[in-house]
Amino acid sequence: MPSLILTAVVRIFFVIMLVGSLWVLLRGHNEPGGGFIGGLVGAAGFSVLALALGVEAARRALVLHPVVLMGAGLAVAFASGVPGILTDGSFLTHQWGTLAGVKLGTTIVFDLGVYMVVVGGVLSFMFRLYAEDAV
Amino acid sequence: MDLSTILLVALAGSVVAPFVVARAGVLGGPLAAVLPAALFAWFFAQIGAVGTAPIVEVVPWVPSLGIDLTFRLDGFSLLFALLITGIGTLVTLYAASYMAEKPAFVRAQFLFYILLFMTAMLATVTADNLVALFVFWEMTSLLSFLLVGFQSEDAKARKAALQSLLVTASGGLALLAGIILIGVEAGTFSIAALVANPAPVLDSPLFPLIVACVLIGAFTKSAQFPFHFWLPNAMKAPTPASAYLHSATMVKLGVYLLARLDPVFAGAPWVGATLVFFGGLTMLIAAVQALRAIELKAVLAYSTVASLGTLVMLIGLDGPVSSVAVVGLILAHALYKATLFFCAGIVIHATHETRLRALGGLAKLLPFTAAATVLASFSMAGLPPFIGFISKEYLFEAKLESSLDTVAVTIGVLVNAVMVAIAGVLALRPFFGRPKKAFHVEHGEQPGMTVGPLLLAVVGVTFGLVPSLVAYALIEPAAIAIHGAPFDVSFKLWHGFTPMLALSGLVVALGAVLAWFWDPIHLAMRRRRAFDEVFLDRGYDLVLGRTLALARWSTNVLQNGDLRVYAAVVSATVTGLLAYGLLAGEGPVLPAIAGEPVRPYLLVVCALIVAGCLVAAAVPSLVSAIVAVGLSGYGLALVFLLNGGPDLALTQFSVETLFVVIVMAVLLKLPIVARSSRTTGERWMDGALAAAFAACILVATLWIAAKPFNPELTEYFAATAVPEGFGRNVVNVILVDFRALDTFGEIAVVAFAALGAWALLRSGGGSRRASKGA
Repeated sequence: MPSLILTAVVRIFFVIMLVGSLWVLLRGHNEPGGGFIGGLVGAAGFSVLALALGVEAARRALVLHPVVLMGAGLAVAFASGVPGILTDGSFLTHQWGTLAGVKLGTTIVFDLGVYMVVVGGVLSFMFRLYAEDAV
Repeated sequence: MDLSTILLVALAGSVVAPFVVARAGVLGGPLAAVLPAALFAWFFAQIGAVGTAPIVEVVPWVPSLGIDLTFRLDGFSLLFALLITGIGTLVTLYAASYMAEKPAFVRAQFLFYILLFMTAMLATVTADNLVALFVFWEMTSLLSFLLVGFQSEDAKARKAALQSLLVTASGGLALLAGIILIGVEAGTFSIAALVANPAPVLDSPLFPLIVACVLIGAFTKSAQFPFHFWLPNAMKAPTPASAYLHSATMVKLGVYLLARLDPVFAGAPWVGATLVFFGGLTMLIAAVQALRAIELKAVLAYSTVASLGTLVMLIGLDGPVSSVAVVGLILAHALYKATLFFCAGIVIHATHETRLRALGGLAKLLPFTAAATVLASFSMAGLPPFIGFISKEYLFEAKLESSLDTVAVTIGVLVNAVMVAIAGVLALRPFFGRPKKAFHVEHGEQPGMTVGPLLLAVVGVTFGLVPSLVAYALIEPAAIAIHGAPFDVSFKLWHGFTPMLALSGLVVALGAVLAWFWDPIHLAMRRRRAFDEVFLDRGYDLVLGRTLALARWSTNVLQNGDLRVYAAVVSATVTGLLAYGLLAGEGPVLPAIAGEPVRPYLLVVCALIVAGCLVAAAVPSLVSAIVAVGLSGYGLALVFLLNGGPDLALTQFSVETLFVVIVMAVLLKLPIVARSSRTTGERWMDGALAAAFAACILVATLWIAAKPFNPELTEYFAATAVPEGFGRNVVNVILVDFRALDTFGEIAVVAFAALGAWALLRSGGGSRRASKGA
């Protein structure tokens, strides 16, 4: 089923979808978007890559194993709650600061964790489904 | 140092100790024993302070629910803490020696469990908050599971471990229910506050339920009828663990809790009568079983059950003397029972013989063990001048003074006579009886194993000879702590010629007769199989068997491997619940929706959705069906978008896209046109289910729309999102900030679900490969 058209444009699609997913993730706090939607878009990007070029190519592009990415995402989301314990004794009370004039908070770290879990979760079984021989 | 610091030290020490033990070789045991010994020294140093006022320390934990880690060290807790750490020290030494031939890893693992168990016990007996107590209580259940099942290659040990866990943990659940009810009724979880003001609990209409829950919790833990069977089975644990479980820890917790709450429950006389009834019944069953038991450790285990029954009965009796009797018996029992288990372990370790009747003539081979056993047995038999004698005098005094004297004294005399007989048999037969075969003794008596029993046996006789050593420092504060009010405690050896002395004499005489005729009595009672039916764990096996059968049956019905059955069960359940909710509520109200202006573009989108659904249901081609379902999904996303839910719409679009991508992957492995395996009847059923579901959803939606919209939350989040969450996207602020913990839980669920699917797909891949290869 390798289609010439799909194979030709898939890399462009992939880059657009990945950048788009990150953009959706980052704008989430003020505009529609966020870690969950971003993660779904990102997973779709990798899936398209797997569909056109094979699972191995997508796996290489992801670098990390999807299950590892999922676990790392949980750890990142957990870590974003730790500063709250240290400052006012409450887990996941987000902390805010200003960096170079941009207001930043631990919420973005939390959302990044959500993003990683969604991408890793979807891709963990997506890769298995697409693989000819499951690894 | 604070109490909480001490507990943290115990925890940290327990975690570090196995690494030390694994590397230190022979020195591992003594090094590990430094931890309990140091804790013992600290608690010992608190005797003076606790004598005047309890040490209280509050560490906030969940203040919003009134749950704090309140630690309270009064006389009763201190007695337990000293027993736990003191006997813990000896158990650690003994265990290291007992397991000397095992690999270092196994030794380290065992000592890790023992020390952790000790820590959990210390936390339980010092916790004042009932919720905190429950948490530590369950920790002891889990750790005793690990200890009982330590020899996990033995199927019997695994069964015993599971049994002890199921019994004590289900009792723990009952206890939790009781604790929550207490908290609801009294408005506090603090034991001290409850004892100070028991009225809200006593006067509550739920009081009988509270008592039932707490009693079930305590009875399962302390092996009272009808939960007595797990304790004798738990002797499958390695002997050092048995010695610890039976003497100073685990099984005493139920007694501890009952004694703690006794000032609260004492306001209702029927609670005391209930305790006397179950305690007495347990004593009688245990006495019969102790006479019938074949193995050395089983005899000891049943005598423990009898002592626990005695303690429960004493708590049920009224009067301050019973408090002294409880405290005295706890102390005396811990000292002699630990000794006897230690000695039994030495004997079994040396001879590899577990049956009591097969042993004999060991006094020459194991002289120190024989000495310790004799001393401990005398204390158990309640002979002067041992501490067991003093505690028995108080036991009878408490019974004579109470309002239930006849029953209590009769049972007491009978059961104690059996204890005397057993003590005699235990002390005499294995060591001085005629040997049935020549024993070849391995290892002999290693110092690490003999120091514990000898020390405890000597302590038992010293406390008996000089009771003033413990009377004012330990017994009096402990008895006052559980009695709830100060009174004069006179703990001494000689009380003069009293009715109690006469009863003691009667008990010893009866016991001597029983011991003399032990062989014929033992054999005759062993043959009575009827006892096994009633007294063993047949009931437990029955309940467990039925539960498993029910689980198998429901799995076969509900999880039969046909995806359509799963879908039908889930849909039917949801439809049923929805329909019930709609009918049982205020009833379906069909609202006037005429007020809404009809928006033509929405109608177009709706037509698209409906068309998608119809096509998906009708077409035979799977690919067409997927495209049709996707059409409905996109239509739905459009509806969200047009109604001001851009986040929902975006998510819906992404999910629909991914859905198509995922299903395409599955379709690659399926035929393009699926052969329908549904009969016409089944299709009608599917259609009816779908129609019912749709009807319920329709009515529910209309109903919700008819209700006036409550804007409170919307306004709150809209108003606070920017000032408190610093974000203009309210949905996202709720997800990552206001409700971040919920989101965290959800992504954890997503991760675990994905992990499960991932693992399942691997096994599927494996079988596919196999079939391809074949």
